[in-house]
Amino acid sequence: MDWGWILDHLDDLAFRTAQHLYLTAIALAIGLAISFALALLAVRRRSLYPPIAGLASIVFTIPSLALFAAFVSITGISVWTAEIPLILYTFVMYVRNIVAGFDSVPPEVREAADGMGYGRLARLWRIELPLAVPLIIAGIRVAAVSTIGLVTITGILGDRFGGLGFFIFEGIARGYFATEMLLGAVPSIVLALLVDRALVLLQRRLTPWAHPARPGSAPEPAAA
Amino acid sequence: MSGPAATVEFQDVTKRYDPGTQGPGAVNDLSFAVPAGRICVLVGPSGCGKTTSLKMVNRLIEPTAGRILLDGVDVTSRELTELRRGIGYVIQQVGLFPHQTIGQNVAVVPRLLGWDAGRRRERADELLGLVGLEPARYRDRFPSQLSGGERQRVGVARALAADPPLMLMDEPFGAVDPIVRERLQNEFLRLQEHLAKTILFVTHDIDEAIKMGDLVAVMQAGGRLAQFGPPDDLLAHPASDFVARFVGSDRGLKRLSLSRIRDVQLQAVPTARPGDPAAPVRQAVQADPFPYLLLVDEANHPLGWLDEADLPADGPLDAEEAIAMSPLLNPETTLKDALAMMVEADVQAGVVVDGTGSLLGIVTFESIGQAQRAPAA
Repeated sequence: MDWGWILDHLDDLAFRTAQHLYLTAIALAIGLAISFALALLAVRRRSLYPPIAGLASIVFTIPSLALFAAFVSITGISVWTAEIPLILYTFVMYVRNIVAGFDSVPPEVREAADGMGYGRLARLWRIELPLAVPLIIAGIRVAAVSTIGLVTITGILGDRFGGLGFFIFEGIARGYFATEMLLGAVPSIVLALLVDRALVLLQRRLTPWAHPARPGSAPEPAAA
Repeated sequence: MSGPAATVEFQDVTKRYDPGTQGPGAVNDLSFAVPAGRICVLVGPSGCGKTTSLKMVNRLIEPTAGRILLDGVDVTSRELTELRRGIGYVIQQVGLFPHQTIGQNVAVVPRLLGWDAGRRRERADELLGLVGLEPARYRDRFPSQLSGGERQRVGVARALAADPPLMLMDEPFGAVDPIVRERLQNEFLRLQEHLAKTILFVTHDIDEAIKMGDLVAVMQAGGRLAQFGPPDDLLAHPASDFVARFVGSDRGLKRLSLSRIRDVQLQAVPTARPGDPAAPVRQAVQADPFPYLLLVDEANHPLGWLDEADLPADGPLDAEEAIAMSPLLNPETTLKDALAMMVEADVQAGVVVDGTGSLLGIVTFESIGQAQRAPAA
C-alpha cells in the first residue's frame, strides 16, 4: 500500500465519490419514477403484471458490460450511455417490490377506506402508498446496492464515468497498481454499506407504525 | 349526544352478479323498511346475501334492480363519497389504518369532511371516551398495539365520528372471543340508548340477532327474505319451517330472554310481620292456593317463608322459624334469568321487589308459563 499516493489523491477520491453518488442517484430516481408508473399499471390491471415483470427480468439477465457497449452505438459516449442501462436494471427490483407493497395492504383496510368515503386517488396516496413504503424501500435498498456496483463498471466507458470504478480501471491500466485499485474498490464497498444503512434508517423514520415500541417503553397495555 | 337518525327502505332490491342469466341472484326482491333510530339485524346462514344487502346501502355493491331509500332519497342518486361519509361503517376485521394513530383513525371521516385539526382532535377524544378507551392513553398509539376488543371499539368510534344518521355494521363483534363479544354487545346497546342511530347490523348468529335487534330480517339461501319482524314475533310465530329451524328448537327458551318480570302478572301472597298473632294468618294461608306465608319487615322487605305446617296454632309468629328465602327478582330481570335462579335455589316462587327492596308480589313457574303462552304483543 502506498499511503503517500493515497494522501496525494484525496481530492480525486472526493470527486469520484461524488460522481459515483450522482450517477447512482440519477439511475435510482428515474428508475423509481418509471417503475412506479409500471407498478401502478400492473396493480390496476393485473393481466399486465406478468409481461411487465417478465420483460424487466429479461433485461436484468443481459450482462452489464454488453449492454453498456450496445448503448455506445446508440447514444455515443454521453451520460445516457451509462444511465439507460443502469435505469433498465432497476426495473426488476423496483417493480416487484412496489407491486408487493401495494399487495400487502390488507383488503379490510381498503374496504374500510372505500366505505368511509375515500376517493380513488385519496385512497392511493393517503392509505395504500404509506402502507407500501416498507416494501418499496426494501426495493430501493436492493436497487441501490446493485446500482452502486454497476456504476463501478461504467468506468469502462471513460473517465467521465465510473465514479470510484475509475480508480480500478486506471489502476489496471497502470499495470495493476494495487493501491489505486483498492482506492476504488474499498470505498465503493463502504459506500454501498452506508447507503443501505441510511435507507434502513429512512424506513424506520417513515414507518414508525411498523416498529411498535418495545414493551416497557410504551404506555402500559390496557387489560382488554 | 343523540344526533340525527335516518329511515332506510329496501324496495324490491335484487343483485345479480351475472346479469346475463335470468336465474336467481345473490339477493332477490328484498323489501323491508327500518324506522329511524332502530336496530335492524340481517341474519341468515352464509351465502344468504345479508352482507351483499348491507353493502348495497353504501354502494360498495350496486344493486341490479330495485331501490334503497335513505330518508326517502334513492342512494344511487347521491354522490358516492358524500353518501359514504354520511354512513358509519363497521366491519368484522375492523380495517383500522395501521400507519395512523388511534386518534387519527377515529378522525378519518372528519378529516375527509375538512374539519380543522383542533375540532378533529376534540371529537376523537370525545369518541374514545364514549367507547370506554381513555383518550390520553390511547390516542397516540398505533392499531398494532391494541387488543382485538380495543380495536373493535375504535372501529365503532371511527364509524360514529361524523355523527352519521345511519350505521352499517357487518359482523362487528364476530372476530373477538365470546366474553369480549358479550361485553361489546352490552356496551353498544347501552350506547345506542343515547345515540338512537338507525343501524343495519349483519350477523349469522341468531342469538346475537335476537339480542341486538329491534327488528330482525331473517334471510335464506338465494337472498330471499324469510321473515321480518320484532325478535319476539320470530320466536313465537316463525313464518316457515326454515325460520323455525333457523331460530332453533329452543326458541321457547330464547323468548324467555326477551321478556322480563314486568311482563308477567304478579301474584299476591299472604304476608305477615314477625310478632303478628298466628291464628288469623293461618286462615289466610289455608285459603291461598300457594300454602306459604311470606314474612316481611316494617318496610315491606321480604324476610323469609313460613310453611303452613310450621305455623304455630296460636301465639306470635317467630322470624327464627322462617325457611330459606326465594331469589329476589326485580321487574327488569329477564324471565330466563328468573327461571335459572328459581331452579338453582330449588324453590317454587320468585319474590319480586322494587328498587327499594319492597315486596311487589311473587312469580311462579305457572305464571311465567302463562305469560309465554299469551300472544306476543
